[in-house]
Amino acid sequence: MSRRTKQTSDEHNSLDRRKFLKAATLAGTGAVAQTVVAGQVAAAESSTASSSERHTVQIASREAEQGTPHYDGATQTTCGSDFMVDVMRGLGIEYVAAIPGNTFKGLHESVINYGMTSAPSLELISCMHEEISVAISHGYAKIAGKPMACMMHSTVGLQHGAMALYNAWADRVPVFAIVGAQLDASKRGGYVDWAHSVFDGPGLVRDFIKWDDTPISLRHFAESATRAHKFSITPPYGPTVLAVDQELQEDPIKSGETLVIPHEPLIAPPRGEDGAVNETARLLVAAENPLIVADRAARTPEGLRLLVELAEELQAPVVDIYGRMNFPWRHPLAQTRRQALLAPNADVILGLELTDFWAVTGNRLAPGAKRISISAGDLYMKSNYQDFDRFTPVDIAIAADAEATLPALIEAVRKLITPRRRAALKARGAQLAKDHQETLEQSRAAAAVGWDLQPITTARLCAEIYEQIRNEDWALCNGTIFQNNWPQQLWTANHHYQYIGDAGAYGLGYLPGASVGAALAHRKHGRLAVAIGGDGDLMFTPGALWTAAHHRIPLLYVVHNNRAYHQEVMFVQMMAAKRQRGITRAHIGNTITDPNVDFAKLASSMGVYAQGPITDPKDLGPALQRAVAVVKRGEPALVDVISQGR
Amino acid sequence: MKSIHACVLLASLVMFSVAAAADDPTSTTAGGDPAAGKRVFFADGCFYCHGTTGAGGGIAGPRLAPNPLPLEGVKAKVRTQSGRMPVYSPAVLKDSEIADIVAYLQSIPKGKDAKDIPLLNR
Repeated sequence: MSRRTKQTSDEHNSLDRRKFLKAATLAGTGAVAQTVVAGQVAAAESSTASSSERHTVQIASREAEQGTPHYDGATQTTCGSDFMVDVMRGLGIEYVAAIPGNTFKGLHESVINYGMTSAPSLELISCMHEEISVAISHGYAKIAGKPMACMMHSTVGLQHGAMALYNAWADRVPVFAIVGAQLDASKRGGYVDWAHSVFDGPGLVRDFIKWDDTPISLRHFAESATRAHKFSITPPYGPTVLAVDQELQEDPIKSGETLVIPHEPLIAPPRGEDGAVNETARLLVAAENPLIVADRAARTPEGLRLLVELAEELQAPVVDIYGRMNFPWRHPLAQTRRQALLAPNADVILGLELTDFWAVTGNRLAPGAKRISISAGDLYMKSNYQDFDRFTPVDIAIAADAEATLPALIEAVRKLITPRRRAALKARGAQLAKDHQETLEQSRAAAAVGWDLQPITTARLCAEIYEQIRNEDWALCNGTIFQNNWPQQLWTANHHYQYIGDAGAYGLGYLPGASVGAALAHRKHGRLAVAIGGDGDLMFTPGALWTAAHHRIPLLYVVHNNRAYHQEVMFVQMMAAKRQRGITRAHIGNTITDPNVDFAKLASSMGVYAQGPITDPKDLGPALQRAVAVVKRGEPALVDVISQGR
Repeated sequence: MKSIHACVLLASLVMFSVAAAADDPTSTTAGGDPAAGKRVFFADGCFYCHGTTGAGGGIAGPRLAPNPLPLEGVKAKVRTQSGRMPVYSPAVLKDSEIADIVAYLQSIPKGKDAKDIPLLNR
């Protein structure tokens, strides 16, 4: 059935974001092909129409490059990109984030006219920048527990998205990325097509993705897409990239061609070797001062539950690096704020998916202390980008997924604890509970300092936010290091989805997109998604707010507006002091003032309800209350708060 | 991209002990001027890491007030390497300016008690 044969001039122009629509005339119409869907993709079979049964319209004319595309009248009954949509749906992908680019216009059209109109839905999330597309995918995956797709234009699109892919790589998060490609040079049009063509597109990001491929047939695409998806969700998680040729997307499926969508296996994450696990259990049970340090340990809710079980069996303190929601923040064994006291005195330190084991103790290791690592990072790493952090000599390195290894470790620990030992452990736990409570009181006392101050302290900011959301099913979508970890100090969080960690590589521009992606995943659960982000970060990728408004993604975005790139001031001060040139000019290039940015106006301009700038702490609670009401109605809201640096 | 490691080190190595410092008999402002100290505190950018009233900035910079270290303690922190805290020589920050800053920090009132703030007792 032919769906579209005409397009308005406005629609023509809308295709012309980068003025590079290519010329193409299709040969062959009415091709008959067969799509075979296997295994998990049975749902795709129930689609209202299969990819081999529909028609699409092909844009032709080199004039398209100049913004006036028209059709040559050629039509076709099938297209490769509809099959690609079926493959993605078969992999359980529900969303694809993208900003248009002509090297994936075939896929774009298939997503909106096939993926979004038949079940199971594959919905296009409209974005303003490829960095946002990838960041949305990044944040979504940390809540959904599975990747969504993002599509990027060849060359310039992937270049825009590259830094966000690096964040996902460093954060061990799956992203299913597709970049367009024009492989056949004879099919390229004018200079724009050539400028947007590359022989090896994914090579740009190969240092920080898990895998890539450039399929040359639809069968090849199906197999490589399944492989890419499987790799991305096999620990250690990571992004993958497929470069997909335009002709492969746009050409009809060959007559009589049988296409198979491979079913994806259940993924069994690598578990630690039994002997090493048993030795780890022996050391932990015998230890007088064991310490568990968790970074990206809890991949799933089960990971949090297992870590609680291990800690309680051992009555051992847990230091959370906050890479994920690893451990309940108010659990008596949560001892993160006491890391500086605990780590140098620990006789056994167990690091779970720790990226930077060195930072736990540095050189301040107790004599004879043992360090044990359980990390899937040992299974897959690359060399050029150095996000693997400083080498740390550990005594046992278990190259395995920590969450998958915890059941065996817990069982081994349980077998080794005698009744007498259990009594001793109980006493240790009681002391730790007391320490936890004291730490909480210290945090509260520290939060009270400067309570009525202007600019508003980050402690007051976080306490006021919590007051408005604490009776809701809330979920925090940002890392908290730039807010002094006040949420972890002052709030109660017990669920895995209530915190997702930070960017991974601390590449700015992450949070606006990632929080929108996380909020997208929270939406169907009815959770109140909240993000606290810096003004500098938001200035990188403010367009994410438009995406939230456009797609009615409920998200409370609170701007921690300190009007500066605060971190860097100190470094410049250091340089200036060392060179004896005075330190009164260190703010130049670091502050975001003169003029001040009005984030409420910025958000309002994109259809987001906004409050601010809030300068008086007395006004903060009511402003947040109004914003939360909007979010609970299913829309995004922003509150701009003039805050202390940290 | 922002490096955070420096600040983590700073926080762990430069944590000021503020307890009861105001009662320390050795504590002295050495004739510092609180108003001048406030001007220097802002002009030299101390507030970026330590907050506008020395309330602290977590890992970026420890709390300095209320109850700041005595003058000699602050001077030692300013003049000698301590973690990643910049070292400020007399050519950059005069002794009299440090005294003014200490006087400013000493002028900052204690503020509310956490127990009196409902939001901190949830």
